[in-house]
Amino acid sequence: MIRRGFSYGLLSTRRRAHALLLPILTTATGAFLVVQVFSLTGSVKKQATTLGNKDEIFRATLLIAVVVLLVGVVEVAVCSTRTINQRTREIGLLGATGVPRSPVVSALMVEPLVAAAAGAVVGSVLAITVDSMLAAIGASSTSPQLGPTALGTTLAIAISIASAAITSILPSWRAASRPPIHSLSHGG
Amino acid sequence: MTALVDSPATTGGSNALGSTPKADIAKSDGGNGGRLLKFALANLRRRPEQFVLSTLGIALAITAVVVVRTISIGFAGSGTASLGDVLHGAPLWVVPSQGVHYDAELGVLLPAGPAPRLVVPDGWTAQRTIAGIWAPPAGRVAVYGRPDIAGGRAVVGAAAAKVLGVRAGSRLAIGGVSLTVAVEGSSRIVSVATPVAMNVVGDSSWLTVRQPASLAGRLDLGKLLSRATGIPSSTDPAVKPAASGLIYDTVGGGGSLTFQQRYSALFAGKVTGSVLGMVSTVGLLLGFVIAVTSFLASVQERRREFGIMASIGLADEVLYFFLVESAVVFVIAYLAAAALAGIAVLTLVPDVASVSAWLQACGMAAAYVPAMAIIGALVPVHRLLQQRPVALLAEST
Repeated sequence: MIRRGFSYGLLSTRRRAHALLLPILTTATGAFLVVQVFSLTGSVKKQATTLGNKDEIFRATLLIAVVVLLVGVVEVAVCSTRTINQRTREIGLLGATGVPRSPVVSALMVEPLVAAAAGAVVGSVLAITVDSMLAAIGASSTSPQLGPTALGTTLAIAISIASAAITSILPSWRAASRPPIHSLSHGG
Repeated sequence: MTALVDSPATTGGSNALGSTPKADIAKSDGGNGGRLLKFALANLRRRPEQFVLSTLGIALAITAVVVVRTISIGFAGSGTASLGDVLHGAPLWVVPSQGVHYDAELGVLLPAGPAPRLVVPDGWTAQRTIAGIWAPPAGRVAVYGRPDIAGGRAVVGAAAAKVLGVRAGSRLAIGGVSLTVAVEGSSRIVSVATPVAMNVVGDSSWLTVRQPASLAGRLDLGKLLSRATGIPSSTDPAVKPAASGLIYDTVGGGGSLTFQQRYSALFAGKVTGSVLGMVSTVGLLLGFVIAVTSFLASVQERRREFGIMASIGLADEVLYFFLVESAVVFVIAYLAAAALAGIAVLTLVPDVASVSAWLQACGMAAAYVPAMAIIGALVPVHRLLQQRPVALLAEST
């Protein structure tokens, strides 16, 4: 049943792809910064050294990059609550025809998860491309390192998906738990 | 304000457009402002998810900015303190052609070469300060050699005393001599007599120059000394020394900022101009995007409600409703951000950040929160007000 919920969610996500552009863009911006800070650890640390308290400043830079990524993911959640509100009647209809809660929740979770994952991947790929281009034309003082880049990409994707799931699960759950008659009469 | 009078929102009901006895409203105090606030709070309660998410997004964005500002103000403070250790009230500072640099670990300014030869005109007094790094096994400290310090004394800053493990009155062996320690100030500097310092750190130095009493209060001292000695002068701390050295005039120069303020701005600029500053600016932009999109969504959902208000002549009031809602969201986000940023800086960068730097950063962030709140509310409502009430009522969402 849950698998059917996911496929249903995928279909509706495809239909509403245009609405996902902004959340994908904001998540990508955050992911881009996180991967950049990680892959250019060398030059960020060098800059931190000129400021003094090298390790503290580097930690602060990382924290700020992750915070910005979270800000980007919040946009995913804002978008998914809007979607849920717009689909209240549809959710009511599903409930009225006997579809249990869990497939409805999984269908609703597809959109934020896809948006967060797509944003994180786009941002990471963009960051890696920009880094290697900068290194190729010699514009960057330190070449990107493979280890930190991989770590940054993994972290960016994991944080995006996890925080999108955490922020979207509650509204999805609430919407799917409402009595169908309520959703059908109040929803748009 | 008829709509408000009839609105149960003022009594905290869950449906803003239902009906409630007027008697309840008569009890509501605070006038129209109070009613607007209650109406806004009731509306925010109607959409808890959107409210929490937009507040969270804005709060995180403001947190990023406050953290970066706190760090930058912390650095500005260390810049001002290090300059104070150098000048001791002298108006002119003559630096070597190699310039001076800031040692971030020690938090002190150090010359990169010997001070230029300087013959001051009659009545002027110049004092040479030898400065460099001394690294005994206990740790690194800066050594300043000043002629005004007696041969047998070492004036040690509190931080330096901690590194060297000395107290007031104890003895400190430096450069082959044993000196009596006096603890003064909080810096990581050991100030000793010039010959002792030369033994330890060589001849890297700068000069501080004071004017004769007859020239007290003049703002062109740098130019006067420059004319007499041929060494160029500048009131801008960003100017690098020429081959013959440079006279920094710390009292002259136009503009509203003092030399110290511009000098600390150089330090603060280093932070805001770094990756840290760039990342936080992007974060603030994203936070603003979230504010606008969540308000847009809220406007879109409430088209019919605003259609009813507009059709009974409350078109302009819709703007107030949104401004107050936006203000509530931004104020809560701001308070949460200030608290979050305080925790973040005190745990992550305790050496750089201080409580006063954090408070100043919060003040700076407070300066642009109102502008963000107003623009965040105006953009969506502006679109709404372009339409006729009939159009708003016709299309239900």
